[in-house]
Amino acid sequence: MALLLGLFLAGILDAHSAVPQPASSDEECMECHSDADLEKEVGKGRFVSLFVEPAVLRRSPHKKLTCIECHAGISEGPHEEGVEKVRCEGCHKKVRAPLAKSVHATGYRRGSEAPTCVGCHGSHEMQAAEVFTDKGCEGCHREAVDQYRNSAHASGRSRGEKEAPTCQSCHGKGHSILSPADPMSPTYHLTLPKTCAKCHADPDLVKKAKLRSSDIYKLFMDSIHGRALSKSGLLVAAACNDCHGNHDVRRHTDPAARVYRTNIPKTCGECHAGVLSTYWDSAHGQAVKEGNEDAPVCSDCHTAHQIRRVEMDPWKLQIIQECGTCHEESLQTYRDTFHGQVTALGFTRVARCSDCHGSHEIFPLSDPRSTLSAGRIVATCKQCHSGATAAFTKYHPHANYREKGKYPILYYTYWSMTILLWGVLGFFGLHTVLWFPRSLRERIRRARR
Amino acid sequence: MTANSGPYYFRIKLFHRIIHGMVIVSFLGLALTGIPLRFADTWWAGWLSRVLGGYPTTGYLHRVFAVVTFLYFGLHLGEIALRFLKGERGLFWGPYSMVPQPRDFVQLAQHVRWFLGLGPKPVFGRWTYWEKFDYWAVFWGVAVIGASGLFLWFPTFFSHLVPGWMFNVAFIVHSDEALLAVGFIFIVHFFNTHMRPEKFPMDPVIFTGRVSEAELREERPEEYAQLIREGGLEALKADPPPLWMRTFARVVGFGALAIGFFLIFLIALAVLR
Repeated sequence: MALLLGLFLAGILDAHSAVPQPASSDEECMECHSDADLEKEVGKGRFVSLFVEPAVLRRSPHKKLTCIECHAGISEGPHEEGVEKVRCEGCHKKVRAPLAKSVHATGYRRGSEAPTCVGCHGSHEMQAAEVFTDKGCEGCHREAVDQYRNSAHASGRSRGEKEAPTCQSCHGKGHSILSPADPMSPTYHLTLPKTCAKCHADPDLVKKAKLRSSDIYKLFMDSIHGRALSKSGLLVAAACNDCHGNHDVRRHTDPAARVYRTNIPKTCGECHAGVLSTYWDSAHGQAVKEGNEDAPVCSDCHTAHQIRRVEMDPWKLQIIQECGTCHEESLQTYRDTFHGQVTALGFTRVARCSDCHGSHEIFPLSDPRSTLSAGRIVATCKQCHSGATAAFTKYHPHANYREKGKYPILYYTYWSMTILLWGVLGFFGLHTVLWFPRSLRERIRRARR
Repeated sequence: MTANSGPYYFRIKLFHRIIHGMVIVSFLGLALTGIPLRFADTWWAGWLSRVLGGYPTTGYLHRVFAVVTFLYFGLHLGEIALRFLKGERGLFWGPYSMVPQPRDFVQLAQHVRWFLGLGPKPVFGRWTYWEKFDYWAVFWGVAVIGASGLFLWFPTFFSHLVPGWMFNVAFIVHSDEALLAVGFIFIVHFFNTHMRPEKFPMDPVIFTGRVSEAELREERPEEYAQLIREGGLEALKADPPPLWMRTFARVVGFGALAIGFFLIFLIALAVLR
């Protein structure tokens, strides 16, 4: 391929150097080409305009070039015969090498509709590279550019943030753009987080552009997704774009964002489809569907960037607190029990919320699908207490001994024990307080004697 | 340890010293492995639990010490039964009995009067009222904490006999009664027996089994008078506690005191926070 292209480019150069001395001046060209109606039939009933707007040309960086410096091979006008293709590489020699490898060049060689120089840069309306943003790409990548223009990246740019990314910031410098399937591409699945991190892990930029914490890259790379990408090299593991979108990256506060609170289940469910269907049926999923924005979505329990393996102790313990942010009293009464005390000490071998209530499949206790419904509770307790019976399940794992109305026996037990405790300690405490000074005085008196 | 020369007399026989040794070891073990649960929400509880091996190791240790507790409780009941069957008199009443008697209440009142400087010190016999309270506190504590502990140890078995909510009751009782036991032993018992000025820093009699004649005469004049009167003193005569025994008493005694005060300090941190 490279050899073919080399020959192709060599041909261009030869053609260029073989151009005879300019026989036509710009004025000569414009005699015809300033006619706005000038066109040429290129196929059956298809016409292309041959009109050249002089004002446009004057704004271009090429304004000092004469027509024939680009449009070679025209010896004399008016020229009825076909003209040679414009060969930009003749002057732009540095472009050659990176372009040869880029997805656009390989596409071109395959005969697809991949762009030529003009495709991106325009012809007479050519603009300087500095102002070259998404406009060059939209001709072919209409959908992607439209999505980009609604993204947080584009809106940053429209606010005048110079650092906000354009197409090239992620896909690579103009001529060396590679296919995302190419392992050398900055948008290759396993490389993408690093590309996003160029901005999102830069503390100065994070501060300046008011991005969320610069830790997210570190957290992500240490998460189950990040490790699957970086350590296991799994293409199916989620990279930044799988959750945040490719071109339509939006802030999490934007209701159209893939990571907006109520959109999160759907986004995660693109990979975790089985979990999603269970979750939608559950009490939490139903609440989210009904528009309850406080109901938990995936990221409340699993967090956003530091998603951990659910078998690890830190997560297993933290999740209890998470449930308790809404189920406050349940957490408090859980901490009154052996289960809650052992987990509070930092050990996970005893029942946590999800061991009894389920995780994605949480239902109200009244629902027969609940793991704690009358029909299923014995089996649930039996997971740990192998000999559990129906009577065993009459234990109150969330008993509140402070509630006299609901748990009178526990209430009175607690108060009798408390009175006994402080009664005995109080009585003998006082006994000691009285005894000590008396004994001390006695002792001192004897010592003096 | 007061350096008393002169004759020594046995006060605590070897069997009871061994029983008390079992009480010390098992009680400290149970307290150390149990307290972190009760104060699970404090910063030190997780640390203490981890130092002791963490859950479930601490759970196994707790049960091992529980077995030691049941063992000494059984040994004690067995001894009482044996002595009763042998026809020993005065086991359940009289100056040598542990059973509270009217004079104990009288002596408590007299003692408080003496604290306030309103009367003379009561004339104590073999067992003072606070020693009897210590005894019954352990007796009651082992029964209550032991029974509720067995419930919690074998919940599925006991669920055949009682409804599940009884475990809620057992949990509260076990936890509160245990806290009472810990508070009582590490504050009240430690003061009454070791820390009060007469005994400071510790009374080694529970390890050596021996008291000097001066101690006996002064602390338990009634018992001393009775022994003189009935001529039993000579039979109790003992050699002074040998050095190894005094060293042993110091090491074990101070060790137990240190652990107890350490736990009380941690509990105080939690309660006063």
